[in-house]
Amino acid sequence: MIKLFKCGILLLSMLLFTIPSFAQELPANAVENVMIHLSDGSVVNSGTIVWRNGVIEAVGEDAEIPFDAHVMDGGDSLHVYPGFINGLTTWGSPDRGDLESADDPGNPGYERAGIQPDRSPGELLKADDKNLEEGLKYGITTAMLSLKGEMLPGRSDIFFLHGEKTESGLFEQDKGVVFQFEGARGGFSNRAYPNTTMGVMAKFRQLMYDAEALKDHIDYFASAEGGIPAPERDEVLESLFPILDKHIPLYFVTDSPEDLERFFALQDEFGFSAVVVSGKNIWHKADALADKNIPVLASVELPKMPNWYKKEKEEENSENEEDTETDEEPEDDLTTEEELFRERQLKSYLQTVRNISSLMKAGVSVGFSGGGLDPDKFGDHFKVLMDEGELNQNDLIKILTANTAEILQISDKTGDIKPGNIASFSIRTEPFGEEKSKVFKTVSNGQIYEF
Amino acid sequence: MYKLVIASVLVLFATMSIQAQPKGDKLIKNGTVITVTGDDLQNTDILILDGIIREIGKNLTAPENTEVIDATGKYVMPGIIDAHSHLNAIGVNEATNPVTSEVTMYESIDPNSVSIYRALAGGVTTINLMHGSANVIGGRNATLKLRYGQSQDNMKFEDAPQTIKFALGENPTRVHGQGSGIQPRTRMGVEQVIRDHFDAALDYRRNRKEYIEAKEQYDRRKRGNPPVPVAKNLRLEVLADIIDGKILVHTHSYRADEIVMLNRVFSDYGIKNYTMQHANEAFKVAPELAKNNAYASVFADWWAYKFEVYYSTAFNASILNANGVLTSINSDSGELIRHLNHEAAKTMRYGQTSENDALRMITINPATQLGIDDKAGSIEVGKHADIGIWSAHPLSIYSINEMTLVDGVVYFNREEDADDMRLDRAVEPELTFERSRQFLFETSDGRSSDACMQDVFFLFESDKELSMNGNSNIHNH
Repeated sequence: MIKLFKCGILLLSMLLFTIPSFAQELPANAVENVMIHLSDGSVVNSGTIVWRNGVIEAVGEDAEIPFDAHVMDGGDSLHVYPGFINGLTTWGSPDRGDLESADDPGNPGYERAGIQPDRSPGELLKADDKNLEEGLKYGITTAMLSLKGEMLPGRSDIFFLHGEKTESGLFEQDKGVVFQFEGARGGFSNRAYPNTTMGVMAKFRQLMYDAEALKDHIDYFASAEGGIPAPERDEVLESLFPILDKHIPLYFVTDSPEDLERFFALQDEFGFSAVVVSGKNIWHKADALADKNIPVLASVELPKMPNWYKKEKEEENSENEEDTETDEEPEDDLTTEEELFRERQLKSYLQTVRNISSLMKAGVSVGFSGGGLDPDKFGDHFKVLMDEGELNQNDLIKILTANTAEILQISDKTGDIKPGNIASFSIRTEPFGEEKSKVFKTVSNGQIYEF
Repeated sequence: MYKLVIASVLVLFATMSIQAQPKGDKLIKNGTVITVTGDDLQNTDILILDGIIREIGKNLTAPENTEVIDATGKYVMPGIIDAHSHLNAIGVNEATNPVTSEVTMYESIDPNSVSIYRALAGGVTTINLMHGSANVIGGRNATLKLRYGQSQDNMKFEDAPQTIKFALGENPTRVHGQGSGIQPRTRMGVEQVIRDHFDAALDYRRNRKEYIEAKEQYDRRKRGNPPVPVAKNLRLEVLADIIDGKILVHTHSYRADEIVMLNRVFSDYGIKNYTMQHANEAFKVAPELAKNNAYASVFADWWAYKFEVYYSTAFNASILNANGVLTSINSDSGELIRHLNHEAAKTMRYGQTSENDALRMITINPATQLGIDDKAGSIEVGKHADIGIWSAHPLSIYSINEMTLVDGVVYFNREEDADDMRLDRAVEPELTFERSRQFLFETSDGRSSDACMQDVFFLFESDKELSMNGNSNIHNH
């Protein structure tokens, strides 16, 4: 008893000595006299943001700046936006290794088949990927990382972007398992199972059946008093248990409405929760997605504008600017067939460019996924989305911030500029979407990056 | 006017895509009706309500607002059924394992392919979208109605029995034996692969059943030793279903000896009602096939594209038919499918097959082979209104299909046949006009591109051919 008492005293004194070091705070930071654009589109003019230890302490016109704060004055000309979230990307993923031929193509083993849901992007992070640094220059502060691969390339982990030090910025781990209709590498000349979409679907089902049986075996073995052999453990199958149990979603990467139909069939069979990723051309399925309550982390990569349409628009713009009649010769007469072709091509182009807007109109929750796209490409696509895609600046900001945070279930900590949230935002020279707008500074998880 | 017609057709397809399996009401008036299963009927009407043939007779009346199609001077026949096609698949061969019964062509449908429309133009309404012939036991096939503009799901022929593709001979031995160095390397090996897998399926079914029973008992009572789980195995489940007679087998085969071999194997496992596909030497063993109640689905006159297909004759279908083997003529091609009526007519030219038997080979016989003969393949009251309307007798070389209906809905009308019949959703924004025309031209030559060995043709090419052709589509079945 006395021993216990002494131990207690010792523990208490250790605690007392350590408390001050826990309580020791870094100096605060503040930015004042800036226009703060919130995720819902509202703007705080001449606003102030105060943050300390990576957490926002105060936001508003009258936010009080603590005495110890490093203060930056925005001079009422800078614009602050919540940090953009790249909802799923292969930034930081190592490339696939050399391809070995499979001795028995029908049974190639998990890795050769591209079945690797046990892999963690965080553990395999290639910290020198330039996009982890570049992303910050474009206002991206948070990204859910995935791995390059095939059918089941790995899990997904959320990181704060810190350039080469991103590895230290783990936000949340094991948020989901990535899935795509991507057969094993090698084509037919160096083939391995599964090689086709139907093969991937069948293999997925079999993995789920096998995982189910293994889970039962593990449970039986744990609960029985002998009489049952020990299960043979399998890391790959076990990493599918949270999908079976509906604890985490499958992040299904596709651009095809037909693949989406196939995926719905799998979901109906296994009942897993799902998020669709990329979905460049899935507006056909907007109602079905809304009915099933499946959110989309949408790609912003758009098709190339048809040359003739681009030319027409340029001519239209120059006419407007000059406001004079053009003496240019009209284009050669088009055949009826070509005329009709152009009508259909333009319709198809605009439908694809309005993919995100169609999804949103149908009631689908839409966030943002950069996929493998380099961040310097985003700007051009954002511009087309605003010019032709029936989205405005506020829609895009919401998609890039609050919506993505909500889909990733991290909106209690990030996705907007408010007290208690992680200090992740970017400071721009002009409002987002304007041609001259550039990121001047980015704050990611409290760390300031200047460009 | 031209644009207006095109626009109206496109609107038709656009609206169809949002409905589920549309069914039409029509009154087809005053045609020569080729019922196939009964007599030809002159100056006869067909009343279609909700996609089903309700009445056949003279001077029929229809409910108000029913669309009337005047078939005066025309021939009305059942929609053609192609028992062997790879018309609109996104992938044909899961050629990685000798047995892949777990995959299904229902998950490999391209509902946007313009080839569907081209087949409709030839009066075809139903196809057997088959897995390829790279594997001894390939994937399950998909029985589809050519509802152009619908989703994958809506293309399915409702309540059609499941069928599966088997393949014997050169293709599986070449892909797996020669290509991967595994069994089967020979025709003997092909037989053994089938037997081994059937035996495994029987073992599996027993073990799985015992496990499920033990699990139910243990989970209920929580007493005794828990059972060791036996996972559901999709590949073996399908094979067990074949043995149980729930899945119809369609087997790619050429030589008489391997056809007899398969008869023997199926007889050992009690498998009945199966179809030998291609079966160029089937005429040699027609009595044996008839005795086993096995069916045959053959080409009219196509052979010599590889060694095992040299011993062939244009009399094959007629000999089989005369010996009581239920026989169909198939296309296995996106080009042949557009004139299967000509292919059937060849049996009259070569083997003096009767007109009715020739027509049966592209209608009720393939329907029987696919297990849908109670729903399609003839013009009878109660059957699906899958119908072609022809300018003359369909076995005449001068006859042209003018209109094709599926479930009483018009999917092809020659009067509204525009240059560009791609679906809206199949129009790619980045495809230029020039490239688009080139693409349509390339894909129109289905005879060289839609065969059973799609994607694995290179395995059949010599080094010299490869260097000459690149990875081209050499025809092979």
